[in-house]
Amino acid sequence: MNLAQQLINGLVLGSGYALIAIGWTVLLGAARLVNFAHGQLYMLAAFIAWAAMTRLGVSYFVAVPIAVLVLGLLGVLLQGMMLRLVMQQNLTSLMIVTLGFGYVFQGGAASLFGGDPERFISPLQNANIRFGEIWFTWQDVLTLVCTLLLFGTLWLVLNRTRLGALVRSVAEDPKLAQLFGIDAARVYIGVFVFECAAVALGAGLVAPRSPILASIGFDEVIMTFVVVVLGGIGSVGGSLLAGFGLGMFTALFGALVSPAYTTAAAFLVLLVVLAARPRGLGTR
Amino acid sequence: MKHLATPAALILAALAYFVPSVAGGAPVVYAACTTIAILAVMAYGADLILSYLGEVSLGHTIFWAAGGYAASMLAVNADWNGWQTAAAAIVASLVLAAVLGLVTLRTREFVFSLVTYAAAVVAMEVAFNWSFLGGSDGIVGVPPLELALFGHGITGSGNADLWPIAWALLMLTLLFIQRFRHSRLGTSALMVQMNPDLAQALGVDARAVRFLVFVTSAPISALAGWLYAYQRAYVGPDMFESYFLVLMLTAIVVVGRRLLLGPLIGTALIIAQQTFFSIGGDGDKIILGTVLAAILLLWPRGLIGLWDVLRRPRASARPPTAPAAPAARR
Repeated sequence: MNLAQQLINGLVLGSGYALIAIGWTVLLGAARLVNFAHGQLYMLAAFIAWAAMTRLGVSYFVAVPIAVLVLGLLGVLLQGMMLRLVMQQNLTSLMIVTLGFGYVFQGGAASLFGGDPERFISPLQNANIRFGEIWFTWQDVLTLVCTLLLFGTLWLVLNRTRLGALVRSVAEDPKLAQLFGIDAARVYIGVFVFECAAVALGAGLVAPRSPILASIGFDEVIMTFVVVVLGGIGSVGGSLLAGFGLGMFTALFGALVSPAYTTAAAFLVLLVVLAARPRGLGTR
Repeated sequence: MKHLATPAALILAALAYFVPSVAGGAPVVYAACTTIAILAVMAYGADLILSYLGEVSLGHTIFWAAGGYAASMLAVNADWNGWQTAAAAIVASLVLAAVLGLVTLRTREFVFSLVTYAAAVVAMEVAFNWSFLGGSDGIVGVPPLELALFGHGITGSGNADLWPIAWALLMLTLLFIQRFRHSRLGTSALMVQMNPDLAQALGVDARAVRFLVFVTSAPISALAGWLYAYQRAYVGPDMFESYFLVLMLTAIVVVGRRLLLGPLIGTALIIAQQTFFSIGGDGDKIILGTVLAAILLLWPRGLIGLWDVLRRPRASARPPTAPAAPAARR
């Protein structure tokens, strides 16, 4: 095993995990909403970008923004339907509703785009960079840069702007925020749209690594759980750290022990942490 | 009238025994009825958690699969009979539920759901990769179910043979749920869900109640999986598919939570749609997911809520009263 290569792999995997998870972290922090359709949104975004490339013939760099836009609009629609339950903070029902949505997306994607694995190709995926034994692709560099940019911007917006203050006040106490004239419903919709758009960006950057299938959402979501819970509910910085930590863990575990059981091992880490700290590592 | 509701429900369920023969006795009818009974029993396991603890367990596919794997592995490799494999299914699910229950003891709400969901995904990965459990091929060639009772041997392989057994399992489950609702554990669970502070003041240990209900619910789903293994004569990692998870949740919420016959009627509606009015596998997924989401978004109390609206037309103009969704507001 080449340690330096595995560390690079960990960094690449980790930036993907963090990028896919960030929307959910924000959603969970601001609206306490658990979106079990997250993995299916990822799958849907990958298929939309793929369809834009193969059926409309646009380039990869146009297809990904299209997917982000479509998912953002879908976010408005979904949150509009769930708004009553969100305002009631009926979290149990919401959780089940999102499971239902995810199942609809999976069936819908399979009937719209077919049940076979498709290749969603980024032109940067085959552009390698080599330093002696170590190699990575320009796609990996792009993913890492986008992740860091998004996290940096998000941190600034949440902590240094009036908009961020609105989101944080709704997260803290929605009723009190409404008494002060903040439209919590709009904040919830905004946060949900951000989640959908962010996961679409994540899918656009990460999904080209492997063939896409209508069922990939199921597997994808588990690493997101681990990142969100380990990083601490709603903690932006925590998610980034948890994402990179999990990426390193996955890369090293896959190389040293067994690639087939990496998800199980990551889950075991989650269980150990939860047994010790039921609300995650980075609780505020 | 109210005190007659439960016996009436049980008699109604008992009469379901004659449904396949009255409906003509075609193989497809027996298959549908047997499947409904099996999947309804599976749903009753998750119902115990959702209706009485107010939590969403997404890990009951583990117990469902544990029952199926225990039955098929022991029947295929060790020639165990039906009673023995059923006992093994119960033991296996109790052990798994105790472990998962201890791990999730301090988690609540979405963290509980996340961890149980993640546990199910990991269990699927283990079943898929571990050759001891048959790996991705699963376990094939499960022999016909053998159940000897008072010297009378019952052997069942086809759906017509399995139907009496599935029906009996369903009736046992209903009686068990009925007993649970009036047991000390069942009432404590409801109290912990509705008013944790009051429960604590009365000396109810909320964690112990949650753990016990969780462990109690597991063998129900496991026995459903046990019979499913004999019905299909095959068990594989597909028992962890989200289909079963979405099906149990939909079956529980579609008619209304905390109703004795709710999950049974819900399962019957879903399987009837998929058997007789199917629009293809992907289309059925869309229907099932849409029903699940739409019920909770439009009529959070389930279809029974519609009945209330119809019965008292003017009452629907009032704002919904507090008990409409007591589980959710904490």
